[in-house]
Amino acid sequence: MEILKVQNLSKVYGQGEGQVKALQNVSFSMEKGEFAAVVGESGSGKSTLLNLVGGLDLPTGGKVFLDGMDLFELNEKERTVFRRRNIGFIFQAFHLIEELDVEQNIAFPLLLDHQKPDQERLEELLGLLGLKERRKHLPSQLSGGQQQRVAIGRALLMQPMLILADEPTGNLDSKSSRDVMDLLIQAAGRYQQTILMITHNDNLAADADRVLRVSDGYLKDMGGKAHEKLS
Amino acid sequence: MKSYLDLVPISQKANRRQSRMVRICIILSVFLITAIFGMADMEIRSQNAQAKINYGEWHAGFRSVSDHEAALISQRPKVLAATRYDTLNYRLTMHYQVEGTEAVILGMDEDALNIFPTAELVEGSFPEEEGGVVIDQNMRERLSLELGDEISLMTPEGTEKTYHVTGFWGQFPMLAVKDVFGVAMRTEDFRNLSLAGSENNYDSCLYVKFSSRCNIQKEIKEIQKQFQIPEEQVNRNELLLATIGQSQDVSMMAIYAVALVLAFLVAVAGILMIAGSLNSNVAQRTVFFGMLRCLGASQKQVIRFVRKEALYWCRSAVPEGVLLGTVMVWALSALLRALSPSYFGELPCFGISFIGIFAGVVIGVITVCLAAQSPARKAAQVSPLVAASGNASNRKKIRKAANTRFYGIETGLGVHHALGSRKNFILMACSFAFSIILFLTFSVTVDFMKHAVNPLKPSAPDVSIISPDNSCSLDKNLSRELMSMDGVKRAFGRSFAYDVPVRTQAGERQAYLISYEDFQMEWAKDSLIEGSFSELTEGEAVLAVYKGEDSLQAGEEITMDFQGEKSLLKVAGVLSDCPFSATEGQDILICSEDTFTSLTGEKAYTIIDVQLTRNAGDHVIQRIRALGGENAAFSDRRLNNEEVKGAVWSLRLFIYGFLGVIMLISAFHIMNSIAMSVSARIRQYGAMRAVGMDSGQMLKMVAAEAVTYGIWGVIIGCGLGLPLSRLCFENLITMRWGTEWRFPIVPLCVIIMVMVCSLAFAVYSPARRIRDLSVVDTISGR
Repeated sequence: MEILKVQNLSKVYGQGEGQVKALQNVSFSMEKGEFAAVVGESGSGKSTLLNLVGGLDLPTGGKVFLDGMDLFELNEKERTVFRRRNIGFIFQAFHLIEELDVEQNIAFPLLLDHQKPDQERLEELLGLLGLKERRKHLPSQLSGGQQQRVAIGRALLMQPMLILADEPTGNLDSKSSRDVMDLLIQAAGRYQQTILMITHNDNLAADADRVLRVSDGYLKDMGGKAHEKLS
Repeated sequence: MKSYLDLVPISQKANRRQSRMVRICIILSVFLITAIFGMADMEIRSQNAQAKINYGEWHAGFRSVSDHEAALISQRPKVLAATRYDTLNYRLTMHYQVEGTEAVILGMDEDALNIFPTAELVEGSFPEEEGGVVIDQNMRERLSLELGDEISLMTPEGTEKTYHVTGFWGQFPMLAVKDVFGVAMRTEDFRNLSLAGSENNYDSCLYVKFSSRCNIQKEIKEIQKQFQIPEEQVNRNELLLATIGQSQDVSMMAIYAVALVLAFLVAVAGILMIAGSLNSNVAQRTVFFGMLRCLGASQKQVIRFVRKEALYWCRSAVPEGVLLGTVMVWALSALLRALSPSYFGELPCFGISFIGIFAGVVIGVITVCLAAQSPARKAAQVSPLVAASGNASNRKKIRKAANTRFYGIETGLGVHHALGSRKNFILMACSFAFSIILFLTFSVTVDFMKHAVNPLKPSAPDVSIISPDNSCSLDKNLSRELMSMDGVKRAFGRSFAYDVPVRTQAGERQAYLISYEDFQMEWAKDSLIEGSFSELTEGEAVLAVYKGEDSLQAGEEITMDFQGEKSLLKVAGVLSDCPFSATEGQDILICSEDTFTSLTGEKAYTIIDVQLTRNAGDHVIQRIRALGGENAAFSDRRLNNEEVKGAVWSLRLFIYGFLGVIMLISAFHIMNSIAMSVSARIRQYGAMRAVGMDSGQMLKMVAAEAVTYGIWGVIIGCGLGLPLSRLCFENLITMRWGTEWRFPIVPLCVIIMVMVCSLAFAVYSPARRIRDLSVVDTISGR
């Protein structure tokens, strides 16, 4: 079942001579439960792609459909609400809320929706993330790996259709990186969630079902376990 | 680049937005200080000018000193001028007259011209020889006198003395009001006139003007000691002394103390504002300072860097603040000139207040240096690791998670943002509180103004025609005729009946019965505290004027006795006040003209008041005087009114100007503080938006933070401001007039309203900025 469909996505920064074409006519789609890694050089347009797919930025051209919904047809407020309910973000710098403890950080998107987190599910997730003992800790009291696990928890609790991860292990040592990746794959697999992850790490990319390479704003589907069509 | 400190301008260019906010804070603080001190300076100058006009430029007066002692005192090195001064017929009871008009006789020395600015000669000179006099403008015009002309002064004993005119003065308000002449002569001539030249039979005073640079109080003490002059023989021109900071009067000292407290509060408000902005600025650039440390800068060098930055801001911000403050003072001076040109005509339009500028520059720079201390230390303590890890968040400060149990997540986060960092919270809440403290303490000066100056009432006449012997003998047609004259705005008359026996249920009393026509009735409506006017026009009813516990009550029935004829009247209402005073124990009763006529049988007025149009000249006065006839007395209050108006406007503008500046600064400060707080967290807000916080929630979060500061600001502000307001009130007002302090509900509501409006603006603007910012840019820290 197709969850994500990207059509002719382009993004141009600046004007005239200073114009930079960050993304050019990028198209691809992803199935439910699929895990794709986006690789490429620094400045190749990977983060731009992720930001556009997540609706954080507006494209110069093209469309992004998530479960059939055109993200850029929605107004800013609708897109924000749609994002918090359907897309989970994991950032390299974690971007946890310093003033909230582990439990509150994980439940943050739910709290924004004025919903109470399902305690059973929260317990299960905390167990899965290995954070049960640290549920009342503040981000400043956690290690980098633990913080990223909280960020993963935050991305998973709403059970979004799509998880977008921007170099989630970029700030972690190799042991923590491996743990975090295993956790992400395991958790997403359990809830049948689609993952689009930017990484510089070839070993981590190897875990993905598909590898998408971005180079000078163009996207190339390198294939992978699922052998999807190239864009 | 010669030194690492040359990085300062480069760093400021790179952080233009953050630097702009700090600069705005410095500009506002310097503006506040310059404007307030500048306005205070202008007010002192204006008070000084008023004191000189109203009382003269003398600092001390010594009564009953001999001529020899007077000569010795005048020769003291610190005495600039001294004159002997005495008056005859000042209360018009001695009946010295020139051409049938009462004349006030003044005896003085030539130095009086330097001591009494109103005594400045417009033509001629002070008499150098026996028999010369200086006369006032009114006398000159009415008697058509020229220099060298002779005048005959009739003494109470019936002898006639002849003098020749050597000079002319301008108008004297006091003489114009009483419509009498002023004749000044040398002290020697004065003594000859008063009591056959006996030196011991006069009670003249030696008025002395000291150099304002000397310690005047010390000089006075020395003179007292040298000539053994007791304290009760010494007068001090306290108002003038106060304006040059040389008064030791207890009430003046209380005013000085209050002024010092207010100046201190203004300076502290400035320090808080600048410290808050610098702290926030440094907090936003921890990575930069970490990088400096990483690259080998010592802690001392970082401190020096931050200090240099602060001084660099001063370079442009201080002059801009001074300029703004000066423009504000100019605007107020221009306003004063426009409102009361004759009184403030001398006030320079583009006057420079050196005190204001000095205070602005010095306090501004010192404040910036002091305020930079703490952020500089904070910057120096940034670990080089911060730069290495790129982790610039200020984690150490967060001790407790936000409370999301009682509030929604956005409100909980907002409250936590406000309360999270204790130091920042104290700084913010205190600066909010300071607005309230400043406003509450400054608003005491409004009460002071209301007590100190009686504004000109709408009914105040410019000139009045008064019937001889205060009888009802001015024809009502005269009022109508005056009303139709060019240059006359309004004319209205009143009839008086004095010592009218009145019987009430409580017993017998006496009253003045006064008739009001339509204009006066309309003005009186503002003073009605009980009852109504409706019955008054229907007849057989009067209004009583409140005179304490013994006042007549609305609804009470009274019987008035006019030459044996008794009339029953009802007290229709009670007025709080009226423009006249009665002798002790007498009531003042006001009725319509018809009622007055039916009660007394009198159909004419006792007095007709005339209000003139703005451009009415002296020819209008001459015509009014001519219409009044030879027998009627004439009172010219124009100069007096100008004085009252001038004093009221000056104080009103000064005080409301102060309050306006404080409100303006409070509003700017609140907006700037919230904007800076938002700027400091912009990256976090970006992350929140990325994970799904919408703009409404963002607004709510910023609002919750702002409201938390606001609420605590109000609590602290009231906690400290109310006792301080009470203290200032008791020093300024209770001590002089006995009025008890009351809870300042109006000023408190005004400043809270200003705070609420500022908070609304303060929240709306940054929330809109966050909404318009690219999420990607904010989370990536671009």
